[in-house]
Amino acid sequence: MALPLPPGLTQNEVAFLAEMEMVTVVPRQRLDTIDLLSGRTPQLRPPHRAQLPLWLALLLKKQRRANIVPPAWMHPASLAEIIHRETKEDPEAFSAPPPPPSRALYSQPGTARRLNHHASYLDDFSQTQDSQQQQQQQQDILSPPFLPSNVAESPAGYLPYHWLEVAEALLTHAGDDMPAPAGEVRSLLRDLVEVRAAKMRSSTSALEGFGDAWLTLRGVGAMELAENRAFLAGLVDGVRKIGASAEATRREEEEEARRGGEYGGDGDEDSDEDMGL
Amino acid sequence: MDIDDILREVDPVSHQIPQETRDLQDLTRAWVAERSTPELLAWPSNGLFERINDKIKRQIERVEEMTGDMDPKTNFALIVIQTELERYKYLVRSFLRTRIAKIDKHLLHYISNDNLRTRMSQIEEAYARRHQLLLHNHYLNSFLGTFPPTMQNLNDTAGNISMIDSPDLDSAVFIRLLKDAEIECHGVDVDGVLTGKEGDIVILRWSDAKSLVEKGDAELV
Repeated sequence: MALPLPPGLTQNEVAFLAEMEMVTVVPRQRLDTIDLLSGRTPQLRPPHRAQLPLWLALLLKKQRRANIVPPAWMHPASLAEIIHRETKEDPEAFSAPPPPPSRALYSQPGTARRLNHHASYLDDFSQTQDSQQQQQQQQDILSPPFLPSNVAESPAGYLPYHWLEVAEALLTHAGDDMPAPAGEVRSLLRDLVEVRAAKMRSSTSALEGFGDAWLTLRGVGAMELAENRAFLAGLVDGVRKIGASAEATRREEEEEARRGGEYGGDGDEDSDEDMGL
Repeated sequence: MDIDDILREVDPVSHQIPQETRDLQDLTRAWVAERSTPELLAWPSNGLFERINDKIKRQIERVEEMTGDMDPKTNFALIVIQTELERYKYLVRSFLRTRIAKIDKHLLHYISNDNLRTRMSQIEEAYARRHQLLLHNHYLNSFLGTFPPTMQNLNDTAGNISMIDSPDLDSAVFIRLLKDAEIECHGVDVDGVLTGKEGDIVILRWSDAKSLVEKGDAELV
């Protein structure tokens, strides 16, 4: 067997992805830049903050070379706000994902532009890039885990896509860096997990009959998806297979109705007679 | 590192995505997509894999050089470099193994169609052909050889039923929309057009999602 795993990312693979999230660290020792495959790491000079991928931050933390600044959404107040929103304001849907990050523009002071927008790279640096590079840049849209949604500056009150994995990693390895006792954060997170798991379960009732061709789960987290992936995909595929013949009949009827409309309704009779012969 | 690099590093307005990050994101996306879709996807055509393989090779050489001088300072850098190297190698390995698993599962489907064949890299195609050859010869030696010659093929399409097994393209997949888009979706009871917002996570059939993913308007999750 080349790969003994089912299609779709498993929990371990999701956790691996989450380790690519950028987090903010406060170094405790100097460390020169290291030439990595994913680019140079910033030079670490205490007490200047720096952004590093989570796997590297955890490595530094374990060696007591740095402290991790937990993202703002992990603050108990922010978590309580999210729980309030999940339970009271909208008990049906998941809370919204973080808004796309924006940056101020250098060339036009006072103007903000979305970081993840097609045109945003072109304004400031159009002179320094050749056109091919520009085109390439245009096509690139960052998405988790490459969006800076877990750094110290990321907005409070929104759960990023990899929230559960990042929170779990930070609580396990950097519990002493939390803004509140780790136990408090943990119990809030557990509430959140339960509220959202209930939503995940009830979302399947929307699939009842699967009359709809799709199901939108805006704001869902990666780990929640990984846990329910086999169940949800199995459900959708199962319904499709059971309804396959009904679907084929419906499609044929629609096709016929469309053809009937185009040719004035005579076409069907003719073809039926041909079949009879 | 020349003066431009240094300037770019200290320049706070430079929010251009560096090539390395782009490569990593492309590799990650390709891996996630390959892990999630029911069928084999096209081999990345922009030389992404060759580039990453080259970089991994060079990095391994660097590690070998660095292990020579065991200064405690460089020692830690070495640990970091090796950890990252392993992460890259895992991504590449998992990506390739997923592809091989898919090719193995529907060997003839991918080699007998010109369009699908171009999705494989040269090495993958050679592997698939050789695998099919061994398999067929084995069947011929063990039992197919005793059948009438007309029944010894494995790609019979008699009676409008093809012997070649193909992947189920209507399987459900999960995608994230990278920009606002309208998707035409096919369901059991009803077809419809989904008006999706950026950041939406949608479950739908792969056959409906495919064009969107290929255009880069959505990614698999």
